[in-house]
Order: sequence, then structure tokens, then C-alpha cells
Amino acid sequence: MSQAPALVVLIALIGGAIRVSTPFMFVALGECLTEKSGRVNLGLEGTLVLGAMCAYATAYHTGSPWLGVLAAGAAGAVLGAMHGYICKLPRVNDIAIGIAMMSFGTGVAFFFGKPYIQPQAPRLGALPLGAWTGNPQLAASLEVSPLLLLGIAVAALMAWAFANTRWGLIVRMTGDSAPAAKAMGVSVDLVRFLTTTMGGFLAGIGGAFLSLYYPGSWNQGLSSGQGLMAVALVIFARWSPVRCVVAALLFGAAGAIGPSLQSVGVNQGYYFFNAAPYILTLFIMVLSAKSKRAAHDVPGELSITK
Amino acid sequence: MTGPATMPGRAVSLETVAMSKRFGPLAALDDVSLRVPAGSFHALLGENGAGKSTLVKCIMGFYAADEGSVLLDGKEVEIRNPRDARAQGIGMVYQHFTLVPSLTAAENLLISRADAPLVVDWTREKRKLAEFLDRMPFKVPLDVPIAQFAAGEKQKLEILKLLYLDQHLLILDEPTSVLTPGEADEILGLLRDMTRRGEITVIMITHKFREVLSFCDSVTVLRRGRNVGGGRVSDLSTESMARLMIGDTQIRERAARADRAAGKTVLELAGLCANNDEGLPVLKAVNLKVHAGEIVGIAGVSGNGQSQLFEVLAGQRALDDGRVLIKDTPFEPNRDSYYRLKVFGLPEEPLKNAAVPKMTVAENIAFRSFDRPPIAKLGWWLSPVPMRDKARELIARYRVKTPSPETAIADLSGGNVQRAILARELSGDVDVLIVANPCFGLDFASVAEIRGQIMEQRNRGAAVLLVSEDLDEILELADRVAVMSGGTINYVAAVAATDRATIGQHMAGH
Amino acid sequence: MVNVPNPVALAPPVYGSVPGDLSVRIRRSAEYVAIPFFALAVSALLFSVFLLALGKSPLEFFQLVERGGFGTAFSLQNTLQRSAPLILTALAVAVPARIGLIMIGGEGALVLGGFAAAVLSIPMVGHLPPFPTLCLMATAAMVIGGGWVGIAGYLRHARGVNETISTLLLTYIGIAIMNFFVEGALRDLSNPNKPSTKPLGEAYMVGHIPGTDVHWGLAAGIVLAILLQILMSRTTFGFAVRVCGGNPRAALAQGLPVGKLIVLCAMISGACAGLAGFFEVAAIQGRANASLVAGYGFTGILVSFLARHNPVAIIPVALLFGGIVASGGLIERRMGLPDATVLVLQGLTFLVLLVSETLYGRFAIFRVTGTVERT
Repeated sequence: MSQAPALVVLIALIGGAIRVSTPFMFVALGECLTEKSGRVNLGLEGTLVLGAMCAYATAYHTGSPWLGVLAAGAAGAVLGAMHGYICKLPRVNDIAIGIAMMSFGTGVAFFFGKPYIQPQAPRLGALPLGAWTGNPQLAASLEVSPLLLLGIAVAALMAWAFANTRWGLIVRMTGDSAPAAKAMGVSVDLVRFLTTTMGGFLAGIGGAFLSLYYPGSWNQGLSSGQGLMAVALVIFARWSPVRCVVAALLFGAAGAIGPSLQSVGVNQGYYFFNAAPYILTLFIMVLSAKSKRAAHDVPGELSITK
Repeated sequence: MTGPATMPGRAVSLETVAMSKRFGPLAALDDVSLRVPAGSFHALLGENGAGKSTLVKCIMGFYAADEGSVLLDGKEVEIRNPRDARAQGIGMVYQHFTLVPSLTAAENLLISRADAPLVVDWTREKRKLAEFLDRMPFKVPLDVPIAQFAAGEKQKLEILKLLYLDQHLLILDEPTSVLTPGEADEILGLLRDMTRRGEITVIMITHKFREVLSFCDSVTVLRRGRNVGGGRVSDLSTESMARLMIGDTQIRERAARADRAAGKTVLELAGLCANNDEGLPVLKAVNLKVHAGEIVGIAGVSGNGQSQLFEVLAGQRALDDGRVLIKDTPFEPNRDSYYRLKVFGLPEEPLKNAAVPKMTVAENIAFRSFDRPPIAKLGWWLSPVPMRDKARELIARYRVKTPSPETAIADLSGGNVQRAILARELSGDVDVLIVANPCFGLDFASVAEIRGQIMEQRNRGAAVLLVSEDLDEILELADRVAVMSGGTINYVAAVAATDRATIGQHMAGH
Repeated sequence: MVNVPNPVALAPPVYGSVPGDLSVRIRRSAEYVAIPFFALAVSALLFSVFLLALGKSPLEFFQLVERGGFGTAFSLQNTLQRSAPLILTALAVAVPARIGLIMIGGEGALVLGGFAAAVLSIPMVGHLPPFPTLCLMATAAMVIGGGWVGIAGYLRHARGVNETISTLLLTYIGIAIMNFFVEGALRDLSNPNKPSTKPLGEAYMVGHIPGTDVHWGLAAGIVLAILLQILMSRTTFGFAVRVCGGNPRAALAQGLPVGKLIVLCAMISGACAGLAGFFEVAAIQGRANASLVAGYGFTGILVSFLARHNPVAIIPVALLFGGIVASGGLIERRMGLPDATVLVLQGLTFLVLLVSETLYGRFAIFRVTGTVERT
């Protein structure tokens, strides 16, 4: 059944948004947690790549993609812990550390990942949420990875925890006013260490999505800046986990423009459309940089917005 | 301890016995013994660096004293960290607020509890908080983020927090420095009533004699880490307390003010409007004139726009409306204007606002002159030798204590950093001088010198704008006083023709 | 009221046991050299442990680096060749660092600069002689590169946008722009293999420094490094930049044009990287294509940090890393290690270096003694 190109593109965009948004979502949620406690982790790009590789390698050797997801989380947690530990040393610049972790994580991932480029590892299944629609393309679009649902659940949990649990309040306190936290006997460094580690864990899972679901293979070009865009995404979402989910969907749609247009045969401007997420990110950063509303919501201790 | 309850008769007495604390070769505390009876309002006096903060931090467990002990109600207690202090019922209100701006009062109070629940049932907690507030002599709104509180409300919340945590020995560190005289009196009065009722004991670090005389029962004076005297306030006078604070050094005359009529208007602020960092208006049509040969002091409680006014004049904040006129010409804060119109400035906290910490003393001193001969040739080539020579000369003239001109300025003491900045700004011809809180945190000797330098510039004919949170400083130095409240100047008068009460009223916005 | 003491002379000028200005300066500089060296040593140690854990010999690794990078005349030329762009991309990080910005857009400026040079060459090859053509190409590369990073500088000044993130984003966007044109409108259709622009041709390529096999880019890099060092330490512009970098509030209070200086430093940064792109196109590749994206920009970041953003110190550090990169192929073949090995070494070195920042000020041997009153 032939369809109007616009509809095809729209369907592809929805599917793309659902698919491509998931790694954004996980990395953004991880970074949201880290930044809420007052630290910036720019190294999540490296965490994403290392997570992807570990997930793929583990799934390949054990035959279980979910073990791969777990391994990716663990790898991310290790990198996050490194970042968290190093940044608490005096006179260390957390932005520069982020850049260094980016290249370190990527280097380690490429180093150990070389043997895994060819072989095929078992992939994560999808939930066919669109089966009820009679339309095969729409059904394909609406195939949702369980990781996406997990991500939304994590976002809801985080949002609830920030307002209603002791640990959530402590994280907010540490990020907004380190002197207040210290006066209360809270170890600022420990809190930030833990949030950075957990943030790394989440980002690692985002990487697992890339290698085990979509695109579903491991190679050295797997990620290109998604980790970085997630940092901007968090600013755009004004540090609210729920808004992070919405923003991730938006970014996912932006990232899906290129492939969606290709699917209807629009091949020109391929690179430009692939650059759309970066341009969008830059745009968003410019808009939210001097925004009054962002200024209200920003955790007071965050160095990139000071 | 769930929930609070300040009940009568819970006040405790505190005694320190022979407390000593060293930092390297420096004896911050030397054999300090003092006694604070239960239910008393006790003042701790001393100039900056006398050891008041150190003593209090030892009591609170931030520092471990090298020697000595603390007794509560006659029994020795061991305080190894702030948690122990809190467990003993000792609480402290710091100079800078320890409230979390983005959290509400309810959230701040809840999270300060050591036994805060892992999962919060807000309905129950809010109910109990409301009950607690009902028992208190003052209230604050529970559901507004602290960022929107006024300074006085924040201070009240800090005190409420301690009461909520069932602390009955309260230590206050300069609690009224951010309050209007009216707010200060209100809070100190409430605390005094609570001490009279035997509910709490209060130790207040202060340097304001007026507060000591009006609210306190007894006082201890520290000088250079030692307890040099004290007693009941009713037995002491301002002079005796001052003498205890400064010691045997002669109390010298105040800076000599040359008798002269003020000259023409040199600096005019015409309808200045500016926004703060969040985009909200912070300067709302500021109008003021400063004449040659006079000091105009801008008084006001911190947070009413004084810092932002200084930033506007120093080029650190943009004007939304209005103009600054110097010698009747519109003034733009660029380098050329500063040079031509001979405008100089001494910002507060010089290491933060006027110096580059990692650069050398010589380089910092050269900030005004680095792009002119003799240091700069052809307008762009820099010669280090003239820079160093000029620096040596100024270091000697202004008595800046530094091992060498090539030392990083961050390695100098606060007083010497300020001297270096003075050397830079005041060594030439000054027509307009803008100063903010120049003596904050400095010892008496530096304070005297710096105030003398400012007075000297005034005597030489400069127009001086002095922004200060220390009303005493303004009353001593200024010819005229202007009060800034709510982002605008609502009162101007000659210092000789007004009094503290009137100024205080305007500071509070009346 | 308390009477305030009279401001009479309170004490004679005190210098205490003056150690002499020169010794003070030597001690300060010594710290800035000793600690990076220490960091290098530590990272070499850690990397050796890493190799041992993989069953490889660290000794063999460093021997191969020495041989492949510096041991023979051939390898030395190879190293010099690869150091040339590194000097320039490191300068692209060093200049903004002096004004307090961490800008890592060297890769993007290099790509766009090289691309601009290649594009400009198209109408000129065959019509203008080589030398003016190359001069114009170099200028175009520097202007385009400078403008590109200048955008980030402007955004930082006007809107407070974090320059690290914006320069990284601009890098990705710049690479996309180049790919778009190289595969599309400006593609040399006579070349069926790799999409690229029209080749310059032998006659129009930048030649070698006489007596060597290294192109003039190396000399340009060294000269530029020295010039920028002089700019930073001996001109009023450099002084103003250092004041802004040290304390922007103090700079504003002195009436210094902080915003203008930020944009200028960003533009100088982009121009340096753009020039590197020009040499990549005009001396090595002969055309613009995806090979321009070779990671020089990112390695340059590490070089600059290791050299503490000092332009002249960048030269030896760039040589070191050029040698490591040059020996990469040899190491891959002889030791069976993947090419990402060098990436791991770089990342590790960068991390150790940044951690070593915490050592400054901790060692008494570097501290100046004398009568300094502590606050």
C-alpha cells in the first residue's frame, strides 16, 4: 500500500524519536543526577562508547543481552567513579577532566573492542507495542525497547525521589549550596562521588542500547557526540528528570530527520540533517544561557553556568 | 529527637577551661577559660583575628582543641566533630547563611534533622512543622524557596532551625550584619526574652558595642587569642570594653579632616537603573551627587543594591537606564575614561574583585599603568624593568609587606593586599574615588591606615563615594550620608545633622 | 564610640630575608616544569603496568617509540612532519586558555580551514602562480578557522554559553559542513574513489624545508609559537589577556574590554588551527576530504595542557607526541597492538596530568620563604 511521503516521514520520525531518544534519555538522566549534586561530567561520551563495547562483548560471550546491559552499567559506573574521585582533589578542573575521560573512555573502548567489530552478538528484543495498528510501518515504528520504558521509569523515580526522600533532598542541597551541606555534616565530595558514579551507570546503559538494539552493532563510529548533547539537553530540561525525557524525545526526532528523509528518497543534505541535533543543541544552549527561568532552576554550585 | 520542643528551664551553662589551639607557629587560642551561666545572653568581643571564631569552632567541634576542655552544666563533654556538638544541644548561626536557596523552608528544616526520614510523608511533616511554628515567638512561610526570602527572614529561619533541632545553647556569629537596625533589634530582643525565660543560652560574637550594651548580660573580651577580661555588662562601659579589645596601644585620634567647603559636583548618578543576575530590577532610579573634596557614604543593609551600584560604576554590570556623569560629561566605564577623568576604585574583597591572585605584586600594581609609558612603549610593547621599578617604589611608599615584588599577590595577608591595591589606585592624581567596604576583615592597624588614605584623598579635593555596610565607618569618614534601601536612595543628609535612629529608619525602608 | 588610630607610619618597610627576585622567579618556574615531568613519568609507569597486564613488554613499547619516533633520520623526519599540525592545534588551545577559556574546537577549525583553502584553490590553480595562491589559501584558512571559533567566543561573551561545549559542537557541525560539500557540490568528479575536492597538483603544493623531508608547516608552527609567546608576555594585549584570564571582574574594573579580548583570542585560536588545516591540504593531502579529520585537534588539547599553555613549551611537547603518533604504525605491526593504543596512552596521560594539578603549592621546596604574613 503506497503512502504519502509526508506520512511516511512522520511515521519514521516517530519511530526514530522513540528509538534514538533512548540513549539520550539515559545519558541525560545520569547527567541530570550528577549536575543536581553540583558537578559536571563532560566525559559521558566516553562512558557511552565504553558501555556500548562492554555490553556487546559481554552479550557475545555470555549469550545474554541483559547481562550485557548490566556490564555496560558497571563499566559506566567505574568511569563515573574515576571522574567523581579525581574531581574531589583540590585544584582539579572538572571540565578538563571530562574532556580527558572522554578520550580515555573512547580509547579504552576502541582498544578492547577491536575483536568485536565483526562478530554478531545477541540483541535486545523489542516490545511490539504497535501490533494493534493494521499498518506494518507504523507497527515497526512503535516497536519499543524495554530500555525506553525502563528509562521513563527511572525518570519518574528520580523526580519523585528529589522531592520526597532524604537522599533526594541531600543531593539537591549539595548541588545548590555546598556550604549548607557542609554545615549539616554532609560530605559534599562523597555525595558527588556517588551521583557521578550512578550517572555513569545510567550512561553506560545508554551505550548498551546503541550496541545491542539500535543500531545494534559495535564499531568505532557508533557514537558521535550524543554524550555531549546530553549535557546540553539537561540544561534545556532545566534539571528536571521528567523534562529530560521530553527533551530526549525531541532530540531523538531531530536525529531521525536524516534517516527518515532518506527512507523517502531524499538523499541530498544528508550531512546537514545529521548535523541537525548538534545545531539544535547549540541553539538550545544559546537560548537557555541567559534565560531567567534557567537561572532560577540551576543548581547553584554548577561550574558551567557560573 | 523527633520534632522540637523548647521548654522552659532547658538552658545550660557553658564553661571552657584552658582551651588552646595552634596553627603552625600561630597561637590562635592561648589558655582561654570563660564561663557562660545558664540562661544568659553572653557577648564575645574582639577585633578581627582575636580568636573569637577559633574559640567558637572548637566548641562546635570543627576544630579539635590542642588543650583544654568544655563543660556543660558543670560536666565535661567531649566534642570531636559538629555532630557531637549538635548531639549536646549546641547550635551555631553562621555569618553566611547555611540555607539552601532552591529548597523551601519546610525542606530546609526537615533535611537539617539527623533523623530525617528516608521517605518523607509531607502531609505529616508539614502538620508537625506547623505545630512547631505555633510554639515559636516568630514565624516564616514554609513553602516558599529560600531564594525569595529577605535577609531578616533568613536569619529568623536559621534561628528557628536550631530551635527545631532542640539546640538550647545558641552561638551566633555576627548575626546582625545583614539586618536593618530594626530587624536586628527585633531578633535580639526575641532571643533575650527566651534567655530570660530560661529556654536557651546565647553566645553572640559581635563587634557592635551598642548591641552588647542593649541586649547582653555579660561579656568576654578576647585579644590575640587570650581572654583579657570581661564581666557583667552593667559593670562595664564602652571605653573599658574598647580598651580591653585594643590593649595598651594608644587610642589615637581619628583621621584629621581638613576643614573645607565642598566644591563643584564632580560625580553625578542620574536615574540609574540596572538588573541583577536573574534579570530582576535591583537599581531603581538611583540619584546622587558627590562634590569635590567630600566623602559621601552610602549606608544600607547589604542586599539593597549597594554591591550592584558599585559594579555599575566599575563596569562590571550594565546600566539599563540612566547615566553617570563625571565633570558634567557622560561616563562610560572604559579604560580611556578612567584615565582621562582620573577615576579610581577600591572594590570590596580586593583579592576577588581588584587583583589577579596568581599574578605578581608588581604586575598587580601595574594594572593602571601597563599600557602607558614608561612601561609601555609604542603603545603595545611591554617593558618589565620599568614595571618592577615602579612597583618597588610603591611597595616602599605604601609599606606593603611582601618578600619580593615577584611574589604572587595571593600570598600576602589581607591588609597587605589592600595596601597594594591602594598603592595602585591612590598614588596618582585622583579626582573621583569609589570605595566599597575597604576595611572588611582587617586588623586595626590596617583599618586605620586605609581610612587615613581615603581621608587624605578627600582633603586633596577628590570626590569620594564610600559604600559601606559598617555604619560606624560611614559616620566617621563621611561628610554626607545617603541611605540605600530597596534599590534606590531614599535619604541624604549631612552626617553632622542626622543621627543613627533616623538613618536606621531609612535603612529599614521608612 | 571607639576612636580610630591615626594613620602615622607604623613600621619601616620590611622585606625580611629577601631571597632576590630572580630566585623567586626560578622557583616558580621550576614548579611549572617539574610537576608536568613528574606527571609524564607517572603516566608512563601506569601505561607500562597496563601493557604488562596484557602480556606485552613495556620496554619493547618504549624502544619502538624511540625507534619509530626519533631513532633514525627517517623516523625523525616522520615525527617532525606529524608535529607540525600538533604545534598549531595546541596553540589553538593555549591562547584561549590564557584568557581563562577551555576551547577545544581545533579539529573543526582545522577541517574548515583546510576546506576553505582547497575551495579557494579551485579558481586559482593554473591562473595564478603558486606562491600567491598558497598565500591566499593560507589567509583564507586562517580567516575561516578564526571566524568559526570566533563564533564560540562571541557566544561566550554575549550569552555566556559554555565555550567547551560550544566549540565541540561547532567541531561536529564543521565536519558535517565539509563532508556535505565534499560529497556534493564541490566533489571532484574525476576521482571515483574517495570523495574530495579537486587536487592542487604537484606544482602548487607547499614544498619541503631545504635539506629535509619536512614541509614548511613545521617552520610556520615554530615561528607562530614564538610570536604568540612574545605576544602574551611582552605586549599590552598579552598583559590585558592575562588579567582577564586571571580575574575577569578585576579586568572589568580596570576598564579592559573583556568581551573584545575573548572574541579576539577565540579568533586567534581558530586561525592557528585553520593554518594547520591549510598545511594538511597544501602540503600533505593536496585536496580536502574526510582525511582532514585525523584527530590532530584532540591531540593538540593534550599537548597544550602538558605544556601548561605556554606557546614555546608547546614545541617540545608536540615533538614528543608527534613521535608517539609516528611510531604508532610500527607498534601496531611489531607488538600486535591495536591502533587505539595511542589513544589510551593519550587519555591516560591527560588524566594523570590533570590530576597532577593538585600537587601545585604543596611542596615547600618551591615555596618562597621570607617574611610573608599569612591571613
